[in-house]
Amino acid sequence: MVNRVLARKLARDLRHRKGALIALIAMVTVGVGIFVGMSGVYRDLDGAKENYYRSNLLADFTVDLKRAPEWTAEAVGRLPNVRAVRSRIHQSVLVDLEDRTTPLPGIALSLPNDGHSIINGLMMRSGIRFSHDEAEEVILDRQFAEANHLEPGDRIKVLLLDKQHDLLVVGTAMSPEFVYLIPPGGGLAPDPAGYAVMYLPRKFLQNSSDLNGSYNELVGLSYDTSRRALEDTLVLIKEQLEPYGVTNTTPIQDQTSASIVQDELDNLKTTARIFPVIFLGVAALVLNILMRRMTAQHRVVIGTLRALGYSSGTITRHYLGHGLIVGATGGIAGAAFGWWLQGAMVGMYRQFFAMPGIDRHFHPEVFAVGCAIAMCFALAGAFRGSRQAAKLEPAEAMRPPPPEQGARVLPERIPLFWNRLSFQWKMIFRAVFRNPFRSSVSMLASAVATALLVASLSMYDSTYYMMDYHFTRLFHHDLTLSLRDPEGMGSLSEVRGMPAVSYTEPQLDVMCDMSNGPYRKRTAVTGLAPNNILYTPLDSRGNKVVVPATGVILTRKLAEILNVGVGEQIKLRPLIARREQVMAPVVGIVDTYLGLSAYCDIHYLSTLLGEYRTANSILTRVYPGAFTLPLMEQIRRRPKVIGVTERLRALQQVQETIGDFMGAFFFITVLFAGIIAFGSMLNTALVSLSEREREVGTFRVLGYSSGQIARIFSGESFLLNGMGIVLGVGLGIGVAHLLSLAFNTELYRYPAIIHPSRLMLSAALMVLFVGSAQLIVFRMIRGLQWLEVLKVKE
Amino acid sequence: MNPSENKVVVSVQSVGKIYRMGEVDVPALRDSSIDIHKGEFLVIVGPSGSGKSTLLNLIGGMDRPTSGRIIFDGKDISRASDAELTLFRRLQVGFIFQFYNLVPTLTALENVQVAVELVPDAMDPMEALSLVQLEDRADYFPSQLSGGQQQRVSIARALAGNPSLLLCDEPTGALDIETSRQVLDLLVNLSRNLGKTVVLITHNGAIARAGDRIAQIRDGTIASIVRNEHPTPVKEIRW
Ligand SMILES: Nc1ncnc2c1ncn2[C@@H]1O[C@H](COP(=O)(O)OP(=O)(O)O)[C@@H](O)[C@H]1O
Ligand SMILES: [Mg+2]
Repeated sequence: MVNRVLARKLARDLRHRKGALIALIAMVTVGVGIFVGMSGVYRDLDGAKENYYRSNLLADFTVDLKRAPEWTAEAVGRLPNVRAVRSRIHQSVLVDLEDRTTPLPGIALSLPNDGHSIINGLMMRSGIRFSHDEAEEVILDRQFAEANHLEPGDRIKVLLLDKQHDLLVVGTAMSPEFVYLIPPGGGLAPDPAGYAVMYLPRKFLQNSSDLNGSYNELVGLSYDTSRRALEDTLVLIKEQLEPYGVTNTTPIQDQTSASIVQDELDNLKTTARIFPVIFLGVAALVLNILMRRMTAQHRVVIGTLRALGYSSGTITRHYLGHGLIVGATGGIAGAAFGWWLQGAMVGMYRQFFAMPGIDRHFHPEVFAVGCAIAMCFALAGAFRGSRQAAKLEPAEAMRPPPPEQGARVLPERIPLFWNRLSFQWKMIFRAVFRNPFRSSVSMLASAVATALLVASLSMYDSTYYMMDYHFTRLFHHDLTLSLRDPEGMGSLSEVRGMPAVSYTEPQLDVMCDMSNGPYRKRTAVTGLAPNNILYTPLDSRGNKVVVPATGVILTRKLAEILNVGVGEQIKLRPLIARREQVMAPVVGIVDTYLGLSAYCDIHYLSTLLGEYRTANSILTRVYPGAFTLPLMEQIRRRPKVIGVTERLRALQQVQETIGDFMGAFFFITVLFAGIIAFGSMLNTALVSLSEREREVGTFRVLGYSSGQIARIFSGESFLLNGMGIVLGVGLGIGVAHLLSLAFNTELYRYPAIIHPSRLMLSAALMVLFVGSAQLIVFRMIRGLQWLEVLKVKE
Repeated sequence: MNPSENKVVVSVQSVGKIYRMGEVDVPALRDSSIDIHKGEFLVIVGPSGSGKSTLLNLIGGMDRPTSGRIIFDGKDISRASDAELTLFRRLQVGFIFQFYNLVPTLTALENVQVAVELVPDAMDPMEALSLVQLEDRADYFPSQLSGGQQQRVSIARALAGNPSLLLCDEPTGALDIETSRQVLDLLVNLSRNLGKTVVLITHNGAIARAGDRIAQIRDGTIASIVRNEHPTPVKEIRW
């Protein structure tokens, strides 16, 4: 049973330290909030994903091939670890929309008409299914339809192979395959308006793709869906289908959309663990300082209570109560903040991921754990102070504390330095060194806050750097024309002759299998024209890579995967045309941030295909400011062109998607760093002020103004936080590098970009936080009833 | 030497002070008047709670009276702004407390430096310490000094700024008899030999006899002011 009088004392103690406590509770709130919010989002997102994948049967593996007769699919279905398969047609298309000058690239996938619970099944969003298997009808990806204002009943022109079809939109749908849709070779962000995903009746698509009675893609389900099991299974399938020209096998772990969703979930999990530890850890340390000061101040009261017969257990519980209140208040506020955060993030993911059921759910266990964590940290923070209070023997406690001991501190050993200091700085240094715990906590808190700022700003800059690097430093063209099949150089001169075109360069992209002993990887090799100027891979020093006549240049990540270095040889086998395996020397390594590219001479690559000088895309520059409508008209009339991408539009697309998100992210980081920095600074400054009220009084008597006194006090804060900031800058740079190492995936990598100006900005923000905490201290000094303080006997 | 013929440094005119404590008014001082002359050793004596500290704090510009005027150098400091009072304390007043109020994290010398820092014509801190015979303790921290030594450091600190007034609030209140005698002796000498104006308050009638003038304060008002033609030498005072 809580003692009523002590409970009232507790309430008054807390009210007395309102400002400091609010700052402290804010830290707990953020810590708990991040935990609750992110753990909640993790569950919501993971649940939605599991549900979606399960109910629409997302394929565990995908096999692409040239052309296989339909009956072969059944044989694959009988292989071990294959639960079910579906064969389908997968075809590149060009879509002509009335309000667009450029034809849009896209893919068409076949869909059986009687398809219920099929692998990679659709979730219809509007409209109906096809009227029959050969109908000239189309179901559009919902996002593409919405972005281009298409509805069931509309008609669109779709170019399949070399024939244009006028298709009736019967419905819109979404698919678990494309939760996060990145167009092939299309960079970082989805482009729902610019890339068409559509579903066509199976028979119709077979006919118009020249694949009667055949298929070119197999999607399937497995029993054991671990990466290893799937890879083994895929080897078997590949052997089985070898005669039909397997070009690609993809386990679910490598499926673009699924792996991005999984990465995001993993990041959420990590963040939900790291951030709360930081915030609650600092809060506990600060609470520790506050409680020890409080029990020191309550010395006489404690002595009196003990003399009145209160047990040391009661005293311990009373002071632990302070921690409990901080923990409980922070926990509850954090739960509310977390609930809000969960909602906001769920909303964000709804925009990022095309997936139904991303809803905020109430997860009681998350709230319970969040509050429990807050309580544990707060009790840990109050523990030392409470012990200190309980250990006071009544007789000893009634006596005033022993006077503060002046003593020499470390820097005094260096007389050359020490003797130059004014007495203010001597006071400051002695205070810093004589309270090592408090000083360390101050420094740690500002180091953490600074590191948070530095690392976030660096991440921000890295993202922009990566985009800029990819879109403006590697590429210098305006349009990419993708060709259906490798063509001779005739098509190059054809494009060169088109209106507005100022320069063209051929490029040949071929999927290849590369291997070096047991290390293997399938990726696209890009054949570049000699003296390439429109696409210029760069080496680590930023110099243009010169592609030699033979051999391949690998992206660093790819070289790591294959475990090769310059001068060694790899086995290279193109997956189209002659598909002949050769030994290719690795002649260079380059740093790119997106994908796993490899480069070689375009003629070298053509030769490997058994052809002479071919290209399957044409990089094009147009005259600045030229009118491109006639060019687009001409391109549209050429069935060989299956896609046109505008480089700057793609860049803009990515910047729009990432820009808003990064802005919010930056704001939140500054807010969080501010809460840590401000919370710890205010508390430590107020504690040291309360210890030194008498000195303030003395200084006032001696004729010091409150400003002059505040300067002495803020000196300590600026010194400690200054050191913390310097440490934090180092720590932040370290964290930024760690993050850049951690996010080193096959899909993208990024360098740790540290601009000196960002370090200055972080430091300046920190100084702003210190300054505002000091402003409060200054106001307290100015308002201090110093004469009263001096009247009280020491 | 007749101090009453000297110039008046501070003139306290019908000063009153009422403290407001929530709902209640506590009259601490009422209608008190006294002139303090240059170079005199004035002792204000009275029982505990009679208003001595209140008066001294008003003279020292640490607080403002509720009524009356306090004239220093032709100016009414009871109407001065906070900034003016700060400047007044800095340049004109040296304060000595019962509990010394030294900064524990500064050495004796550094504690004196605190006072000279802001004053243009201040003494060298070491010189001030030598006036109280503590130059050999310059590098000691307060916790390493005895009470008497600490009080002497605080006297050095008060002297160092060359103030017009030395105000001492029960300076021997926390000291034993022998140490009290030394401190009192020091203060008397400062007035007699260096011509410092010293105002000392005490509840101890014996100490009062060392003063040039003795003001009796009772119940918040100055009841009498007596000239002490033959101040008792400190050595002869019996506590
Ligand atoms: N800040 C204050 N608030 C209320 N009453 C006060 C305050 N300071 C002093 N007093 C009261 O004024 C009276 C005179 O106090 P003081 O001048 O300190 O007496 P002395 O120094 O002679 O012992 C006392 O009754 C005291 O309680
Ligand atoms: Mg008094």
